[in-house]
Amino acid sequence: MSDHESVRQLLALSAAGLLDCSQERMVREHARQCAACAAELDEFAALAAGLSALPSPQPPAYLLARTTALLAAEADRRQGAAFAAASAVFAFALVLLTGQALRTLVGDSAALAWLAWAAITSVFGAASALVLTSRRRLERSTV
Amino acid sequence: MIYQAAIDESFPVAEPTQFERLRRGDPAALAEAIGQYRHRLYRYLLRLVRDPASADDLFQQTWLHVVRHLHRYDAARSFDTWLFAIAHNAAMDLLRRRPNESLEDREFALPAGGPDALSTVLAGERTAILAATMAALPALYREALTLRFEESMKLEEIAEVTHAPLSTVKSRVQRGLEAMKQKLRKEDIL
Repeated sequence: MSDHESVRQLLALSAAGLLDCSQERMVREHARQCAACAAELDEFAALAAGLSALPSPQPPAYLLARTTALLAAEADRRQGAAFAAASAVFAFALVLLTGQALRTLVGDSAALAWLAWAAITSVFGAASALVLTSRRRLERSTV
Repeated sequence: MIYQAAIDESFPVAEPTQFERLRRGDPAALAEAIGQYRHRLYRYLLRLVRDPASADDLFQQTWLHVVRHLHRYDAARSFDTWLFAIAHNAAMDLLRRRPNESLEDREFALPAGGPDALSTVLAGERTAILAATMAALPALYREALTLRFEESMKLEEIAEVTHAPLSTVKSRVQRGLEAMKQKLRKEDIL
């Protein structure tokens, strides 16, 4: 490839400021002697300047408020999930401790009855929580 | 660091504090960051997807992702490139689902006839023609151009945002500029 051809390949990148020092020097030196490359370099430079000065599209006014509201809902959801997890752990520990206390004070049958009752109410409680969560999600998505 | 901050006004002393507040989930810091980046991020997304409604959705998705994955952000890296890389991934997912969207057509040619003559006359601006010509490029080329010329990102930063090698970024900028120049020359704009 001739010197002229190899420099022509670099003109766009020179206008974009993406050449290293030695390549940039080579382009500049060649353009000083070659009118065609100098003209092309000017065109690329004008194009680069035009792209840098393109008017910036304005984001819609509601976008900031809508995004902030979305993130607040996300924070709310995460806080709710953390609270629900902590409550579940606490309830589980309470059930076990109560079962142990009943076993010591009353006997095995009372402890078993308590654990069975706790298991049934937990299943219903978890199902209700799931229904409520999915309903809230649906409400949020339709707002 | 304190000495450097004292002698150098451009030293970014405020940034770590803001990111620390962001990391703690401070809603005010988050609102501040969204406000700070809203013009740049929206412009980048709009240039990529070319449709305001999709740009709106992607803007919100990007910030939701930021909030969910802020713990993964390495404060030693630039927040700009991390944020734009998240936006890039979301935009690429959307563009890949569009049936007629060309992400990186190696043999692309800008459509003949150019921007709508009436809109050009109405806009009366050379910039309107430039913007329309850029919008006709395949997505990855217009992305490289907007990151370089509108965001003034360095080659390495563009490569990080787009997950592409440096040589690929260079080639996209070069081919994008060459295609635009050829087109604008035909239209007697350059």
